[in-house]
Amino acid sequence: MRRLADLPEDTPARIRALKTPPLLRRRLLALGVRPGAEVRVVRRAPLGDPMEIAVGDTLIAIRHAEAAGVELED
Amino acid sequence: MGCPECRDGAPPPDLQGARVVTVGNPNTGKTTLINALAGSDLKVGNWPGTTVERLEAVLRLPEGQARLVDLPGAYGLSPTTPEEALAARELLVHPPDVVVNVVDAGNLERNLHLTLELAELGLPMVLALNLMDEAEAKGYVLDPRALERALGVPVVPLVASRGEGVEALLAALARAKTPEPQVRYPGALERAARELAGRIDHPARRWIALALLAGEEAPLALDDEVLELARRLRAELERAGIDPYLEIENARYARAHELAAEALVGAEPRRTFTDRVDGWVLHPLLGGPIFLLGMLLAFRFTFLFSTPWVDFIGAVQEVLAGWVAALPLPPLAASFLADGLVGGVGTVISFAPVLFFLYLALAFLETSGFLARAAFIADRMMLLAGLPGRAFIPLILGFGCNVPAVYGTRILSGRLDRLRVGLAIPFMSCSARLVVFTLFAAVFFPERAALVVFGLYLLGMAVGLLTAWGLGRAAGQPASTGLMELPPYRLPTFAVILKQAWARTRSFLEGAGGPILLAVLFVWLLLNLPPGHLAESLYARTAGWLAPLFAPLGVEDWRLLGALIPGFVAKEVVVGTLAVSYLGAEPTAALGFVQGLGQILSTFWASVLTTLGAVPALFGLPQLAPPPPDAPTALQAALRASVTPAAALAYMVYVLLYTPCVATVAALKNEFGRFWAAVAVVYELTLAWLVAWGVYRLALLWLGG
Repeated sequence: MRRLADLPEDTPARIRALKTPPLLRRRLLALGVRPGAEVRVVRRAPLGDPMEIAVGDTLIAIRHAEAAGVELED
Repeated sequence: MGCPECRDGAPPPDLQGARVVTVGNPNTGKTTLINALAGSDLKVGNWPGTTVERLEAVLRLPEGQARLVDLPGAYGLSPTTPEEALAARELLVHPPDVVVNVVDAGNLERNLHLTLELAELGLPMVLALNLMDEAEAKGYVLDPRALERALGVPVVPLVASRGEGVEALLAALARAKTPEPQVRYPGALERAARELAGRIDHPARRWIALALLAGEEAPLALDDEVLELARRLRAELERAGIDPYLEIENARYARAHELAAEALVGAEPRRTFTDRVDGWVLHPLLGGPIFLLGMLLAFRFTFLFSTPWVDFIGAVQEVLAGWVAALPLPPLAASFLADGLVGGVGTVISFAPVLFFLYLALAFLETSGFLARAAFIADRMMLLAGLPGRAFIPLILGFGCNVPAVYGTRILSGRLDRLRVGLAIPFMSCSARLVVFTLFAAVFFPERAALVVFGLYLLGMAVGLLTAWGLGRAAGQPASTGLMELPPYRLPTFAVILKQAWARTRSFLEGAGGPILLAVLFVWLLLNLPPGHLAESLYARTAGWLAPLFAPLGVEDWRLLGALIPGFVAKEVVVGTLAVSYLGAEPTAALGFVQGLGQILSTFWASVLTTLGAVPALFGLPQLAPPPPDAPTALQAALRASVTPAAALAYMVYVLLYTPCVATVAALKNEFGRFWAAVAVVYELTLAWLVAWGVYRLALLWLGG
């Protein structure tokens, strides 16, 4: 099972499912992070966490722990 | 797309006296657009009963005057923040006559998701396709007509920052149309939505029905019968293995994707300005230093530019006091007017320059996109206290002045996070407390003054972060979120951020002015009644009552304890009060009218020059060593004679941690209500005593009695 948290930089992947608590799922969906969308890790912050991801035209900061609930297609 | 039960669009709205609202995702240039539409008619205020900012203007249209209200930025109408909740409630409870949906042309798909929700509200709509220049720079070619055909509402391309398309948007208001529902939900869900919508008597019945099926609470009162039916239908869907919330979102995004594809006729993605800047600002090695430099710059901007004006207000206050002293009045009345009234009003007003420049810096950071980057860099550190990265900004501001820092908590999205940071801020040692520390450190620890002061700053920070952490644990809150958009870098609209900064400053003066003035007058009464020598005043007596309470800290001198009372009004006056009680008062010099006026004018001119002169200083090296105390050496000698070094340390810790000042308490009350302001005061007084006692005991071991 691939998770967004472990995705290397600049390797596009497709989101399979959001296995996150309800409020976080809602926030992710609002920003366009949804099953079926393509996601790419742009960079990780200087201290290693959080990371910056690109979904469509949106750049989003997400913590490692939060990205652990975002499952990717193999 | 169409559906059998859809009505033909309602007739165009009558714009005379109409209420027009702008709705859109955050960071779509809504504020810039409303400024371009309204010009000088723009008014900045708050939504009643909230701290959410509200922009409002009058639109002069050929059809008559309409009222334009800006709703807070929202990604969707199912709220995840107080701002989104307000936008949703406003649209449903006070349906406007026209909705102007502001859409970022460079981020169509996600923005159209909100558009599709709005389309289910049954309200006349116009779509403002803003930021066309950025879309072009990204390499996108858009066809607004295609979007107009697909949605069935007027679509106006705009570059609001240059005023392009603004006239066309105003003209399009008269053609606003209620769109036909755009999204077809999967079979069972669509059937359930129609059955439920049929029982709801509201123009937004389709949206409400879907929200109820998704398990949301509708932000308006509904019949029990409707709610019961919603529960039954939702349970049926779930039994059939359908997750209504996810299905609804999927269907909306699928349609948004289709619409975006129709409107986007060409794309050859290019590296944008934002990508290039982020390469530096978020660089693995340079990111940290650039972040610190940015924070330092914002901080210095605020204080370099505001200090001359604070000094100017002080000078005016002195001149006014001088004039009062020249009046033929009994001494007590003259002192009441000069020290109580003029002093009190002066204290209130002297906050204004600091607040104004700080709000300006904050608004610049936020609207330019730098704030989100700072939060990104600082997030890992803030995670230790269980706070989001954004919390770093108000906490850092607290080192300058706690008052704007408390208002700065508004950049956080959840109420609990705001409160946690709000209660931590008073422990961030503001510049006013530094004056007390430098004096005491120089007197009692001349060899290690800088170390002692630095240690106090660290102690305050630790206590503040522990407070925020503990409060989060106590509230049993799920870990705060680090999730946020990193918006494109943009130049802010200065006309708007100036207005916002002024509106926020004014709201502070109105909300906190009264309490501050009352506190100053109360302290004046203590100091001056009964008339005669200070040692026999109410002030000295109150300080005497406090003595047993502070004996365990080694501080029993009434003059030291007394200074804590005016210190509640403002820490700046602690040293002044100490000087008066140890050395006796200096009488206010009487001033002639012309002489005073000359003094005011010359200080005003000096303030203007210093403000301008501060521009190069902004980029100069910071001065790290604390400035030498300018208190008279007589006071230093008197202090040294009155307490031991260990007790002096305990006193400094107490000054660091006890209630910062009445203005901060008033700011806490404005933001979080009376209850939490009271909790903060009690907590700070208790904690300050406990920590000071601990430090005293340790210091006794270390330094000896």
